[in-house]
Amino acid sequence: MKNAMSANPYRPWPARITSIIDLTAKEKLFEFRLIDSAIREGFRHTAGQFVELSLFGIGEAPISISSAPSKQGFIELCVRASGSVTGALHRMKCGDIVGLRGPFGRGFPFEEMRGHDVLLVAGGLGIAPLKSLINHIHDERHDFGKVTIAYGSRTPADIMFLDQFKMWQHRQDFDLHLLVSQPDDEWTGEVGYVTQCFEGLRVNPLRTYGAIVGPPVMYKSVIEEMRKKGISYDMIYMSFERQMKCGMGKCGHCAVGHQYICVDGPVFNYWEAKNIQGAI
Amino acid sequence: MLFRVIDKTELPELLNGFLVAHQVIGPVDKGDHFEFAPVTAADELALDYTLTTLPPKKYLLPPRETLLSFGTTHAEDIEVVCEVTPRVIFGVHACDINAINRLDAVFLGDEFPDPYYRARREATLVVGISCTPFAECLCGLWGTGEVHSGYDLFLFDLGEVYLVSIYSVEGANILEATCHPRPATPAEVLDFEICSKRFHDSFAALPDTAELPMLMDVLHKDATWDELGERCLSCTACSVSCPTCYCFDLIDLTDPDGCGGRRQRVWDSCNSPGFAVVAGGHNFRDSGRNRVRHRFYHKLLSFRAKYGDMLCVGCGRCVRSCKADINPRTVIERLYRDRDRWLTEQGSGATGAEAAAAPAIKAEAAPATPPASVAEQGSGA
Repeated sequence: MKNAMSANPYRPWPARITSIIDLTAKEKLFEFRLIDSAIREGFRHTAGQFVELSLFGIGEAPISISSAPSKQGFIELCVRASGSVTGALHRMKCGDIVGLRGPFGRGFPFEEMRGHDVLLVAGGLGIAPLKSLINHIHDERHDFGKVTIAYGSRTPADIMFLDQFKMWQHRQDFDLHLLVSQPDDEWTGEVGYVTQCFEGLRVNPLRTYGAIVGPPVMYKSVIEEMRKKGISYDMIYMSFERQMKCGMGKCGHCAVGHQYICVDGPVFNYWEAKNIQGAI
Repeated sequence: MLFRVIDKTELPELLNGFLVAHQVIGPVDKGDHFEFAPVTAADELALDYTLTTLPPKKYLLPPRETLLSFGTTHAEDIEVVCEVTPRVIFGVHACDINAINRLDAVFLGDEFPDPYYRARREATLVVGISCTPFAECLCGLWGTGEVHSGYDLFLFDLGEVYLVSIYSVEGANILEATCHPRPATPAEVLDFEICSKRFHDSFAALPDTAELPMLMDVLHKDATWDELGERCLSCTACSVSCPTCYCFDLIDLTDPDGCGGRRQRVWDSCNSPGFAVVAGGHNFRDSGRNRVRHRFYHKLLSFRAKYGDMLCVGCGRCVRSCKADINPRTVIERLYRDRDRWLTEQGSGATGAEAAAAPAIKAEAAPATPPASVAEQGSGA
């Protein structure tokens, strides 16, 4: 996509909605297929990158890619109806056409992570970009050491990808923690915040990468737990949410300190994040 | 780079040379202000202008431009729109040319060159003109009263003649086709040196800026940002009038008949209250303090970290346009004042090392603790 796009990176490419799955009351999982075969086959992304989703006449919204890089031909976006573009997308149906441009930004350093233990922590909608990384690790599981995943939701009804979690739970080699902070009467799983998974968790700090995606309030406490386990500043990765309008480090909407979240991120390691005034 | 001399009487012919194949934009006297506008003859130019209300950036990055058109019934019908007029911007001061160079770095040099900006920039010639500093000028802060690239011709006014710096072959061709350029005489070289010295000496009263990057970090939580933030009207006149502010928004417009629409790029400003709002309504810079501070950090610190230059060229437009008296000069003076006050409050025992390590200064709560470890120096938004 990059080569074809380089002529005009503002040009969205038509994509057809091929599947819509209701996840929660507010979130749906959309699957898209780029119509132009050359553009579709040239599309390569890494977990943590995003696309600009266009609804013509309404506008664009930056959405992180939920599908794994190992799954090609389709692009999955997990979208919460929270604005004009995402609200309108929720009213669309299979077969409808949208525009996509991207992928943009810097994702998780998958190649660096290869050969290491990974500790993945998601809160709320943060599971959407992290799912891309989890599935990529899942597909190349033999290249990784211990894989620990913690996903926290407010209530059981807010949990996304429960089916996926059940699938992952069948694997012996994933240490999974699914938590809710406000359980209902039927909830039999773990209760609390993601940070409590760190109690008693054995981490080899020399060979562990951490990855965090969630609401801003979650970062400080999870980073603190990872630091307590001795994980190096530059092996703790996190993704930041901002309103990326252009995706190319120009429009200024996602600028924080001296970084543009859209090109320098959205994934940063903690050392980089610490050096951005106002990031955390 | 070549230097040649032409007589001032040759200016109309030079202008006619450009008019053959270009729309000519120049400074025009509008009575109560100057503005860059199309001209068709040399006598319409006001080359001794002080400051135009808007900088020439509007010809490279228009306030509103259409990027794409699309059919709303068939979304596939996307057409890229890019209309370009060959232009020469005639009579641009060095600060504004330096500003164009900053825009070039952003829109031409990055991983994603901007096709719209590039098409306009490649179709635009720039002819610079020397200037006489006036009260609002701040180019002496950053040395941006001089420019060494980014123009085709630059005219230094030496009274009866112009000393012309020739940068591009396009400029050289038109100059030689229309004028009689000759090498400078020793007297003209001396004239140039005198003018140059007079220009530099006129900035003697500007504040010191050598430690500014370090001070901006140390004073990130300084109360001065609260005061400036409360004063800021969020009118965005600073960004509109700034020759280097390039932030924009992308908006979709639907045609009234519902059959199609356009995606447009429009100027935007980080001083606009909703600039950093994300979906769901959270505003990452929800106070004037955070917005004003962000703008000045970008101007004086962040841009330099990325591109090597300040994102202020000292043109002085914001000195005029800001009704709350917030501009680089007042910000720098306040930061140095607060630095002095803070050093005094720390007492004579404060060493330079301790001063630099303290993360923040609040008049009421200057911490007297040892330097915090890196892990504890959180950076509040």
